[in-house]
Amino acid sequence: MGDSQYSFSLTTFSPSGKLVQIEYALMAVAAGQTSLGIKASNGVVIATEKKLPSILVDETSVRKIQLITPNIGVVYSGMGPDSRVLVRKSRKQAQQYYRLYKEHIPVSQLVRETAAVMQEFTQSGGVRPFGVSLLIAGFDDDGPHLYQVDPSGSYFSWKASAIGKNVSNAETFLEKRYTDDMELEDAVHTAILTLKEGFEGQISGKNIEIGIVGPDRKFKVLTPAEVDDYLAEVE
Amino acid sequence: MAKADVKLPQMQSGFDFGLCRRNDMLVKQGGKPAKFLKTGTTIVGLVYKDGVILGADTRATEGEIVADKNCEKIHYIAPNIYCCGAGTAADTEAVTDMVSSQLELHRYATGRESRVVTALTILKSHLFSYKGYVSAALVLGGVDITGPHLHAVYPHGSTDTLPFATMGSGSLAAMSIFESGYKEDLTREEGMELVSAAICAGIFNDLGSGSNVDLCVITKGGKEYLRNYKKPNPRTYIREKGYSFAKGHTQVLSTTIVPLKDKVTIIEGEAMEE
Amino acid sequence: MSIFTYNGSALVAMVGKECFAIASDRRLGVQFQTIATDFQRIFKVHDKLYIGLSGLASDVQTLQQRLQFRHKLYQLREERDMRPETFAHLVSAMLYEKRFGPYFCQPVIGGLDRDDKPFICTMDSIGAIEHSKDFVVSGTASESLYGACESMFKPEMDPEELFETISQALLASVDRDCLSGWGGIVYVVTPDQVITRTLKGRMD
Repeated sequence: MGDSQYSFSLTTFSPSGKLVQIEYALMAVAAGQTSLGIKASNGVVIATEKKLPSILVDETSVRKIQLITPNIGVVYSGMGPDSRVLVRKSRKQAQQYYRLYKEHIPVSQLVRETAAVMQEFTQSGGVRPFGVSLLIAGFDDDGPHLYQVDPSGSYFSWKASAIGKNVSNAETFLEKRYTDDMELEDAVHTAILTLKEGFEGQISGKNIEIGIVGPDRKFKVLTPAEVDDYLAEVE
Repeated sequence: MAKADVKLPQMQSGFDFGLCRRNDMLVKQGGKPAKFLKTGTTIVGLVYKDGVILGADTRATEGEIVADKNCEKIHYIAPNIYCCGAGTAADTEAVTDMVSSQLELHRYATGRESRVVTALTILKSHLFSYKGYVSAALVLGGVDITGPHLHAVYPHGSTDTLPFATMGSGSLAAMSIFESGYKEDLTREEGMELVSAAICAGIFNDLGSGSNVDLCVITKGGKEYLRNYKKPNPRTYIREKGYSFAKGHTQVLSTTIVPLKDKVTIIEGEAMEE
Repeated sequence: MSIFTYNGSALVAMVGKECFAIASDRRLGVQFQTIATDFQRIFKVHDKLYIGLSGLASDVQTLQQRLQFRHKLYQLREERDMRPETFAHLVSAMLYEKRFGPYFCQPVIGGLDRDDKPFICTMDSIGAIEHSKDFVVSGTASESLYGACESMFKPEMDPEELFETISQALLASVDRDCLSGWGGIVYVVTPDQVITRTLKGRMD
C-alpha cells in the first residue's frame, strides 16, 4: 500500500505530543452509556445500561453483552457498530487459538490480541481508532479476570471498573463498595446499585444487561426476568 | 500496512506446499510415497424414532499394522451434531475440527442452534475443492430445528441423505445388517442394538475394523456419547505378572541425573508504581 | 525403499507410575551404511516435556528447530510452559499444514502434565494423533517394538522398573532391525528428576 490518497495515518501527533484522534475516541466512549465490571473472589460480573432511543425499538433485539468464547464475555461503552468489529475479530482469534492448541484461549491472551487490533487502528493508514472501550470478563485456569481495553490499545486488569457516562461517580461508588472477599452474588448487587446511582428513570430488566461468569466457566448473560429478580433483591 | 513479521503457520490460511517439490524429487530417486495413519473402518448411522444413532469401531491401522486399538472415530461437530470419520485419520480429524470451529462462530453470529445441512454444506464444499485428495469419508448425523438428519459424505464431496448409512472398509458387512434389520420408527433400544450389531459385523468380518463399539445417540435437546459401549475383544494374552527385570539388568554406559527445580511461586506482590 | 527408512530409527515411550520414559536408538545411517552412532532424536522441550522424532534425519532437525522456536515464543508470550497435550496439538497442526508435502517424521511425545500426570502420544507424518495409556512406538523398528512392548509392558511401574523395561524392549527390537541400533538413550522423567542413561547395544 502507499499509493492511495488516504494511505497516511489519520491519527497523527499534534505538536504537543498528543494524538488527538485517540482523545476524541475517548470522548466518544465517555459519551456512551455506562458499563461496569466487578471481579469477585469466585467470578466476574459485567453490567451495562441499555437505554434505547425510542420506546418503539424492540429491546429484545439489542444485546450489548456478548460472548467471545464460552467462558469469556465482553461489554462496551461508546459506538455499538465499532464494538461489533472487535467482537468479530476477537471471536475469530479465539477460534484460531483453539484450533492450534486445542485449548481455550486464556483471558490475558485474548485481551492482548484484541488490544493489538485496537492499537493497529491508531497507526494504520486510512483508518480511525475505535470509538469504544471494552470490559472483558472471563474465568480460566488462573481464576477470574476483568480487563478494560481502551481505544489506544492500552489495557489494564481491574478489580472493579466503569466506563462511559458518569464514570467518575461510578468509580467512586465502586471504590466505596468494593471488598477483596466479595462473592459473585454480592458483586451482582453492587453492580446493580452502581448502575442505579447514575440511572435516569426507572431501572428494570429491560433497560440494563448483566453478564456473569463463575467457577463453572460458563459466561451467562442474564435474561430480563433474572435481572428483575436481582433488582427485587437489592430493593 | 506492510507485513514484515515472521511468518507463523496459521491453520486457516490453508495448506503449505513448500516441501512438495523436494518430496517429489525424493520419490523419483527411488523412494516410496509416505504411508499415513488410516482408519480402515466401519462407521454407521441410522435415524430412529426420536433422533439419530451413530456408531463406529475403534481400530486405527497403518498398512497392516494395528496402530491404535481404541481410537475415537465419532467426532464432535456441534452440541447437537456428531460425525463419524473414515479414511486418512489426519484428514477426518482436521476436516471435522474445521467445521466445528466454523459452526461455533456461526452460532455466535446468528444466536441459533447449528443445522445439520450447514455442517454438510461446509464439509462438501471443502472436500469438493480438494478434488478427493482430502480423503475423508464421513457419516454425519444430528438433530436440529427441522428434525433428525443423517448424511453420508464421500471424499470427493458428493453426499447422500439417508435413513441409514454405512461407510468405510466394513460398510458392506454393516449394510447387510441394516438391510435385513432396519425398519422405520425403531425405538432407542432397538436402534442401539441394530447399530451395535452392524458395527460388530464390521469388527468381525472386515480386517480393517476391530476392537470396540462406540455409540452416539442424539435426540432433540440432548445426546449421549457411549464410548466403548461394547468391548467384544478383550485382551486374552496378558501375563499376570508381566516380565520383571532385575535392577541393573541392562548394560548402562553412562548415567546423568538432573534434579528438577521447584517451581517458584510468588506468594504476594506489592502493586507496581505507575 | 521408503524415505522414512533412509536413515533408520527406533523410538519408544512408556508410561509408569507418576513418571514416563522415552527412548531411542543412536544410529544415523545412509541406508545400510552407518554414519554416526551418537545421533540425537529425542529433544527436551521443557523440563517435563520431551519429543522424539523418527524418520528422515534432515527433517528431524528442521522440525525440531521449528518446534523449539514455537515453544519459546509461547513461553515468552504466555509466561508459562506448554502442557504436553497442548504441545501435541501444536505439532499436529504444524504437520497437517504440510498435508500434501509432509515432513518425513513420526513424532513421539512424552510429558508430565501440570499435576504430574504422565502423557504420551504419537502421530503420523501428517499429524493424526494417537493417544495411549501404556506405550507408543515409531521408526523403522516399530513393528518389533510393538511386539516387545505388548509383552513386556505392565502398568504402574516405578522409575527404575520402567527404565529396565523400556531398555529391554528397545534393545530386543533393534536387534531385529538392520537400520537401527548401535546403542540407545533413555530418559526417565519423574516429578522431581530426569534420569538420562545411555545403553550399550550390539554394533553390527
